[in-house]
Amino acid sequence: MKKIDQSDYDRSVARLSSLLSDIAVHAQEQSKMRCPYKNRLDQCTAKFGCRNKRKPRAKDQLPWCASDDKLDYRSAWETEPDEYVQVRDTIRKTVSRPCKNSDQPMSQVWYDRQHCPGQTGKTIFDHADDLRVRVPSSCGRSGHCHECVVEIKRGMEALSPPSEVENFLHGQYRLACQACVEKSDVDVEFSLLLRTPKILTAQDHGVIELDPVVTRRGDDVYYHDDQIDTYRGHIYGMAVDVGTTTIVAELVDLETGQSAYLSSFENPQRFGGSDVMRRISYDAGEFQGELHKVLINTLNGEIRQMCDKLSISRHEIYEFVVVGNSTMREMFFNHDVQSIGQMPYKSQVEEQYLSGQRNTTSLTEPARGLRLWANRRAQVFGAPIIASHVGGDVAAGLLAMDMARQTEVVMFVDVGTNSEVVIGHKDRLIAASCPAGPAFEGGLVRFGMPGCDGAIESVRYRDGRFICQTIGQTEPRGICGSGLIDLLAELRRHDLMTPKGVFADKAKHFDIIPEHGITFSRNDASELAQAKAANYCGQIILMRKFGIRPDQVAKLYLAGGFANYVDSVRAVEIGFIAPVSPDRIVKIGNAAAQGALQMLLSKHARQSIERLVRKIEHVELETTADFFEVFVEGCQFKPMHFPSQPRHQEPK
Amino acid sequence: MAQLSDIANEFVRQEIEEFIEREDERQHIIDLYAKASQQMQDIAASIIDGDNDSSDSLTSKALDDGVDATTVMDDGLIAGMAIVGIKFRENFIFVPEVLACARAMKAGMAHVEPILSASGIKPIGKVIMGTVKGDLHDIGKNLCIMMLRGAGFEVIDLGVDTSPDDFIEAVEEHEAPVVGMSALLTTTMPNMGKTIDAFIDADLRDDVKFMVGGAPVTPEFADDMGADAYGDNAVECVDVAKLLVGSGAKV
Repeated sequence: MKKIDQSDYDRSVARLSSLLSDIAVHAQEQSKMRCPYKNRLDQCTAKFGCRNKRKPRAKDQLPWCASDDKLDYRSAWETEPDEYVQVRDTIRKTVSRPCKNSDQPMSQVWYDRQHCPGQTGKTIFDHADDLRVRVPSSCGRSGHCHECVVEIKRGMEALSPPSEVENFLHGQYRLACQACVEKSDVDVEFSLLLRTPKILTAQDHGVIELDPVVTRRGDDVYYHDDQIDTYRGHIYGMAVDVGTTTIVAELVDLETGQSAYLSSFENPQRFGGSDVMRRISYDAGEFQGELHKVLINTLNGEIRQMCDKLSISRHEIYEFVVVGNSTMREMFFNHDVQSIGQMPYKSQVEEQYLSGQRNTTSLTEPARGLRLWANRRAQVFGAPIIASHVGGDVAAGLLAMDMARQTEVVMFVDVGTNSEVVIGHKDRLIAASCPAGPAFEGGLVRFGMPGCDGAIESVRYRDGRFICQTIGQTEPRGICGSGLIDLLAELRRHDLMTPKGVFADKAKHFDIIPEHGITFSRNDASELAQAKAANYCGQIILMRKFGIRPDQVAKLYLAGGFANYVDSVRAVEIGFIAPVSPDRIVKIGNAAAQGALQMLLSKHARQSIERLVRKIEHVELETTADFFEVFVEGCQFKPMHFPSQPRHQEPK
Repeated sequence: MAQLSDIANEFVRQEIEEFIEREDERQHIIDLYAKASQQMQDIAASIIDGDNDSSDSLTSKALDDGVDATTVMDDGLIAGMAIVGIKFRENFIFVPEVLACARAMKAGMAHVEPILSASGIKPIGKVIMGTVKGDLHDIGKNLCIMMLRGAGFEVIDLGVDTSPDDFIEAVEEHEAPVVGMSALLTTTMPNMGKTIDAFIDADLRDDVKFMVGGAPVTPEFADDMGADAYGDNAVECVDVAKLLVGSGAKV
């Protein structure tokens, strides 16, 4: 037996230690998001009980884990946490040492089964940070975005009285950014509102001519003309629409064109703010890159699930087509987004394109570099953007509408926190982006909320009262975008409100559903007026620029967000959309996802979109000379007004 | 520059092909394996696979065949862990898989240890580790043990739900100067203090140093309950153990 030299051994140990240190550091980092007892098959290896444990999927298997890796998994471990004070006391009793600290009782702030010491002067939001609970917010915790609503399950008496900005809340609800812990002897428990928005997905693929980039030739798989793999039984591609709020991912068999799996989920970047500008500034801070990471991680999680459910291998996924507004797309590709946040709002890719350094704004990068869960040689195609904030999602939407072949003048309105308007036909197209803000999407309006269970989606006024329909037929909690449009139109129809938003009989507010305390105030009307005005400006300035009147618009395509649920007659009455007769208004669902799919299935579609985006002229609304006058006019709740033409009469 | 095809072991080739995506790293690993004998590659494969039976028999056989213990460590056991580390970093495998690989490495190291002592190389210290009474959460403790062993410590693992008596018995039997306790629940945390108390009652407190850790444990708690040191994570655990061993506790 040969002996070992001490110095050789020390060298080996040093190497091993450094390897293991990296492992331990990664394990600690990962344990913040993913339960360490969960193995690579998402099975549970813990010897203790946990609420996330589920029955094994097959005999001789471990239980599987139902946690979604989003919040701290520790809360699910079945334990009965004693209160901090008690624990501390027990420790003191068992230890003979004298205590150093004072015996001040310390209260706890609880979330689910986790808790942390309550600190007076700190808000619930601060405590949530301590507990690593992600509370949505987009206003820098100033109380204006209304996203951080929490339910206080106990200990309301320990909190500061509701502030002025919280007056839209009642009962046990508070804004996490406003509610301060004031008393140190009462425990507080809070929970988040669970919101699962109605998510719009592609409706109908229509017939798309199959001509994908990835093809099978004999036993080989080719990307264009490069052999990239040997055939494994399938060739899949994925179309991804990265919205600011919602992501839609569709897995498609590239040999048949058949959809294999459709998934939609909330954009996990919400903690960085709910609109793109907030996310851009978040990405400038110390957590730069975090938003990209969370996006890819979440998508990888979805892909794993798809692979698992379909029993396919990730190696059979060869291509991704990604569409999104400029910010979302650049974040997906891990590019610096700072230039999109400042004048002239151009991404670096667009600047390079404009200065002639590249000949397209589309992107093609290996999936491996983005750490996407797919074949090693898979590629990611990012659809070209139009200009500034008007991104590849709008371009994809136009592709889906077959804009390149439209001979008549059509108008495309994609409604959202940031609305986009495009007008034109195959030979001339103009586009603009209008920052409407979140008033129609749940923000700013006292009882506004996103389109999820409990939201009033339609309103009628009959015999002196409001008749409301709620999503999910549950107890009404607020009003979503389509409900707000209905409400405004009903108030106008029954002369309960002037076009300027003044209520009849000098009322300060209307009781919409008195038994649930849901009201609608003048202030709400004014927030909606401004959001509506942004949409109004986009449409009217573009129509003017194009030299067209509403009655000359052959089709008005409404896409995105809550648009599919909007009553178009009422939307026209309050001037939310141009006065186009209802039979010419077409709701097209998630056009962006549909366009992404076309690009995935057809090289020809990619050529079309490149030609299309080059043709589109971008209009910067704010630079229009009379922008302010148009905006003020747009704040009124009445049909859009076209001075050059007698007012368009709406059919009743 | 070595090629992937220079590696004889098919499993290793597949692992590299499938999981190592960074070009520079890939070349480094290929070079590392290509210079190793097939026997060493087989050992590495058993580590990557987390198969402790194979790593046990293969290591034993290699040493019997006269392969250098240093070569077995470097080209077999550590080379295997190098791939495990990359797979873990890239989220192809997770903590439970890593711990299985660490267990396989330990099975191999067991055959290296007699050679170490024959060469006059002593472990840098002996540590007793366990989660306290009532606590079944052992993953943090297991990571600590992996780190300690990797750094050259001899570790006696008492597992989970360890009563004060079990700790006392182990200290007496193994004459270990350091005891590491972990607790993950606020409810079981006091049992750390109780264990230290039991050592005081048994008149053994001066013979050992206590290090503690676990999510709810803070340096203040550690101090309150009378522990000698606190470690925030598995990396710190090794530093703390080295400090305690060096601080002159009885061996």
